[in-house]
Amino acid sequence: MATQILAPLPGVFYRRPTPAEPPFKEEGDAVAVGDTIGLVEAMKSFFPVEAETAGRLVAYRIEDGQTVDADDVIADIA
Amino acid sequence: MIEIVKAGLETSIQDYPGRIGYWNQGFPPSGPMDSWSFRMANILVGNAPGAAGLECQFLGPTLGFQQDTVVAITGADMRPTLDGIALPLWQSVAVRAGQVLALGAARLGARAYIAIAGGIANPERLGSRSTFHKAGVGGIDGHAVKAGQVLPVFDGTGTAGLVVPEALRPEIRTDRRWEIEVCAGPNDDWIDAAGQERFLSSDWKLSAKSDRTGFRLEGPEWTFAEKAINKPKEHGSLPSNIIDHGYPLGAINLAGQTPIILVNDGPSMGGFINPYTVPSAAFWKLGQAKPGEIFRFRQVSVEEAQDMARAIKARCVAGNLVTL
Repeated sequence: MATQILAPLPGVFYRRPTPAEPPFKEEGDAVAVGDTIGLVEAMKSFFPVEAETAGRLVAYRIEDGQTVDADDVIADIA
Repeated sequence: MIEIVKAGLETSIQDYPGRIGYWNQGFPPSGPMDSWSFRMANILVGNAPGAAGLECQFLGPTLGFQQDTVVAITGADMRPTLDGIALPLWQSVAVRAGQVLALGAARLGARAYIAIAGGIANPERLGSRSTFHKAGVGGIDGHAVKAGQVLPVFDGTGTAGLVVPEALRPEIRTDRRWEIEVCAGPNDDWIDAAGQERFLSSDWKLSAKSDRTGFRLEGPEWTFAEKAINKPKEHGSLPSNIIDHGYPLGAINLAGQTPIILVNDGPSMGGFINPYTVPSAAFWKLGQAKPGEIFRFRQVSVEEAQDMARAIKARCVAGNLVTL
């Protein structure tokens, strides 16, 4: 079943743990419940964005470094 | 008494105007960033405008009430619910012992305020109940609230069903753009004419590396006046360096090329220039702005800034409330 991963809070979305490291996930990767698929930065802190369902990460809907609002769709899982 | 079930993100006890009179010893005023919304929440529940309440940032807390009381929530829209039923903002609401108030992520704005009839009764430190977490002062234990803590509350006499008329509420922007008032100085003469014009005519983006200490801005390069470039060595090596001096609250502090607005928990001194200062009457806009949003600065006189502060104060009085 297709599900969406939503931004947990407003901030700036990042696909990688640090600029020097590879992204948490690539489109097409398998995801398990609790996998981190990105980070949202707010108030000098980073908050993990985690998958709540298992499946395949079909597409990121937010680019690396883009601003998000709470509940914006970050990725599609199928 | 009110139990913290979930703390949210750096939810803290604040009062208004905060810890006044200790700036010379390095203590900032702290207090709510959007003191307009904060004062409105207090008068809705029958408190003095400055009584201690909660500031919720980006992600709100969940509170369990152990007593009947009256509460009001103002500022950012964190979709508050009472036992799962949606609650209105800008309105006083009766809460019964055993009920649970839950706030989520901020949809509109960034900071919500919860006032409770009577006000939070944590001990005063240096004349204020406000939390200043860097020094571990104020609040319950010097820091943001934590799950499992219990907040003591003074006896209150709140009335449910009072509303702040829409015209008296701060207008939280939905288009991600804010016009923020600034006063020139104290060090505007260290910036050249082109740099001053550029500051006032450029978009400045609020960085996610911003909190109650400082609001970091991203924008064009600064250019400097002769006195910033040719100066005695003791001022330091960068054009924005100056021999250590006191900072005003709201200073736009220029660290090299990065402007940082020093806000409620900010430092009282240091070695960078402050070309402009955001007056306290415009702080509510900073408190409601989110990372990635755009600031444009508009220069006002000190007299205009004081008039703005007086206008907000005149709105935040019980006589302006209406009944539902």
